[in-house]
Amino acid sequence: MIRLRDVSFRYETAGASGAQAPVALRQVSFAVPQGGFRWLLGPSGAGKSSLLRLLALGARPTTGTLELLGTSIAPARRAALARLRRRIGVVHQDFRLLPDLPVFDNVALPLRLQRRPEDEVRDEVHAILDWVGLGSRAAARPPQLSGGEQQRVAIARAVIHRPALVLADEPTNALDEHQATRLMDLFRDLSGLGTTIVVATHNDALIRRRPAHALELAHGRLVRDG
Amino acid sequence: MAERAAPGLLARWHRARRADGLALRRALPDRLLPLLVAAMAVLAALALAGATGAAILSARWSAGAASLLTIQVPDPDAPAASPPSTRADAVLAALADTPGASRVHRLDKAELAALLAPWLGQATEFALTLPAIIELHMAAETGAETGADPDAASLARRLATVAPGTLVERNAEWGARLGRLADSLHGCALLAVAIVAGIAVVLIAATTRAGLAARRMPIELIHAMGASDGYIAGRFARRTALLAFVGGLAGSVAALPLLVLLSRVAAPFAQAAPSPAPASPADWATLLALLRDTLPTPLIVTLLALAPAAATIGWLTTQATVRAWLRTLP
Ligand SMILES: Nc1ncnc2c1ncn2[C@@H]1O[C@H](COP(=O)(O)OP(=O)(O)OP(=O)(O)O)[C@@H](O)[C@H]1O
Ligand SMILES: [Mg+2]
Repeated sequence: MIRLRDVSFRYETAGASGAQAPVALRQVSFAVPQGGFRWLLGPSGAGKSSLLRLLALGARPTTGTLELLGTSIAPARRAALARLRRRIGVVHQDFRLLPDLPVFDNVALPLRLQRRPEDEVRDEVHAILDWVGLGSRAAARPPQLSGGEQQRVAIARAVIHRPALVLADEPTNALDEHQATRLMDLFRDLSGLGTTIVVATHNDALIRRRPAHALELAHGRLVRDG
Repeated sequence: MAERAAPGLLARWHRARRADGLALRRALPDRLLPLLVAAMAVLAALALAGATGAAILSARWSAGAASLLTIQVPDPDAPAASPPSTRADAVLAALADTPGASRVHRLDKAELAALLAPWLGQATEFALTLPAIIELHMAAETGAETGADPDAASLARRLATVAPGTLVERNAEWGARLGRLADSLHGCALLAVAIVAGIAVVLIAATTRAGLAARRMPIELIHAMGASDGYIAGRFARRTALLAFVGGLAGSVAALPLLVLLSRVAAPFAQAAPSPAPASPADWATLLALLRDTLPTPLIVTLLALAPAAATIGWLTTQATVRAWLRTLP
C-alpha cells in the first residue's frame, strides 16, 4: 500500500554557486492499494526516478506526507525504516550491482540481510538465476556480463525475497521483447499474490500490450492517475 | 561452482559474513592498525609500569619515614637544668608522655658505633663525648596527614627547657616530600596512559572513516536494501576490535622484556629481592615463574588487560564513528 499527500521534493544539491537544484516533484498525491500495479509514465526529466527514490525510502519528501506498507514515514525511527526497506525490492535504472561480488552473492544480498540460513539462500538464488536464464553465470562478476544480463541480475535481486513492494525503473530497456514479456508476466503473477508494483518506463509497445492503471508525470506534477 | 559444493561449517559461516559486499579486509587492512596499536600498547605498558612503581614507592616512603623523629642530646651525661638527673635522662623523661608516641628508644653504644662506623671505624670507645641519639616513633595514624603530628619546633622548644641545645629532626618532612614526588610521578604516568588511549581513539576513528570512504558504494547499497545501522556498525566494529586486540596482544608481549629489565633495576627501591636468572630461559614454566616473581601483581593484571582494553576502545570508537557517518544517509 502506498499513499502520498501533497508530496514535493527538491534535491539538496546547493552547489558551490549556491544555485538550488530544480524541484523534482510538486504537490503529488495518489494512492495504490496492496497488490496494485501501476505504470509510471512521463518524458525524460519528468521526475519518475525521483518519485521511485522517495518510495524506496532513499530520500524523504521535502514537504507532504508519505505512507508505505502501513507505516507513516516522517515520524518513523531509523530502525523501522531499515525494516521497511527490507520489504521493498528495487530495480534501479543503472542496476547498482556490486562489481566485485559474484552474481550469486549480488542476488543473495536481500536474503542474507534477512539472515536466512545459507542452504536456503543457495536454493533460492539458483532457482531465481535459472528463471532469469543466468543459471550458468552465478560465479561471474557483473562487469563480465552484457547490459541485458546485468539487468536480469538486478531483477532477480529485486524479487528474490518476495518483497511487499517492487519498484522498477526502466526494467526492460536492456531486454529483448521475449524477456520483457516474461518479466511482465512475473509482475502480473506477483501482483496477483499481493505485491504492490510500480514500473517506470518509456516502452510504449509494452504499455500497449499490457494496458494498466498509469501514473503520469510532467515537470514533476502528476497529470494522470487512471 | 564453489557455491554448489557443501563447504565446511566454518567456511560457510565465513562466506555468509563476507558476502555482503562490505569487503572489510580491504576496507580495514590488517597491517597498519595492529602495528600502531602494538606500538601504543608498548607505550601504555611502560606508563602503567611507571604508575605501578610510583604507587608502590609512594606508599613505602610515606609510611616508612613519616613516623620517625630523631632527637640529638649533646653532653648527655651533664646534669640537666633540674638536677639530679642527666640531660639525656631528663629528655627521655620529657618524651615519655608525648602524645601519639609509640616507642621511645635511645640508641645504645653498639648501635651508635654501627652508625658511626663508616666515619670512625670499628671503635667502641670514643675520645669525644657523643651526643645521645633518641628515636621517637609515632603511631602510624598520627602521621603528618592527620594533623596530630607533634610539631618538631614546639617539641624542640619544650626539650630545650630541660636540656638546652637539644636538636629535633623530623624525617617525616622528607618522607612527605618523597611521597609527593612519587604521587606526581604516578599522576604523570596515568596521564600518559590517558593520552595514549586518546591517540588510539583518534587513530581508530580516522582508520574507520578511511574504510567507510573506500567502501561507500556497497555501504550505501546495503543501507538502501535495509541493512540496519547496527548491522553495518557491528561489522566494522568487530573488525577493528579484532585488529586492535591483535595489536594490543603483540604490544604487551613486546613490552614484557622491557618491564622485567625495569623492575630488576627498580627492585632495590621497592625492596623485592631480585630473583635469580632462570637456568634455561627457553623453559616456559621457569619463564612464567620468573615473570610472576619479578613483576608486581597489579602490573601483571594491567598487562593482561591491555589487549581487551584495546579491543574495547576499537569497538566503541568504530561503533560511534560508523553510526555518525550512517546518519548522513536517509
Ligand atoms: N541526484 C540529483 N541531484 C540533483 N538533481 C537531480 C538528481 N537526480 C535528478 N535530478 C533532477 O530532478 C529532475 C527529475 O529527474 P528524474 O531522474 O526523476 O527524471 P526521470 O523522469 O527519471 O527521467 P528519465 O526518464 O530520463 O530517467 C530532473 O530535472 C533532474 O535533473
Ligand atoms: Mg529516470
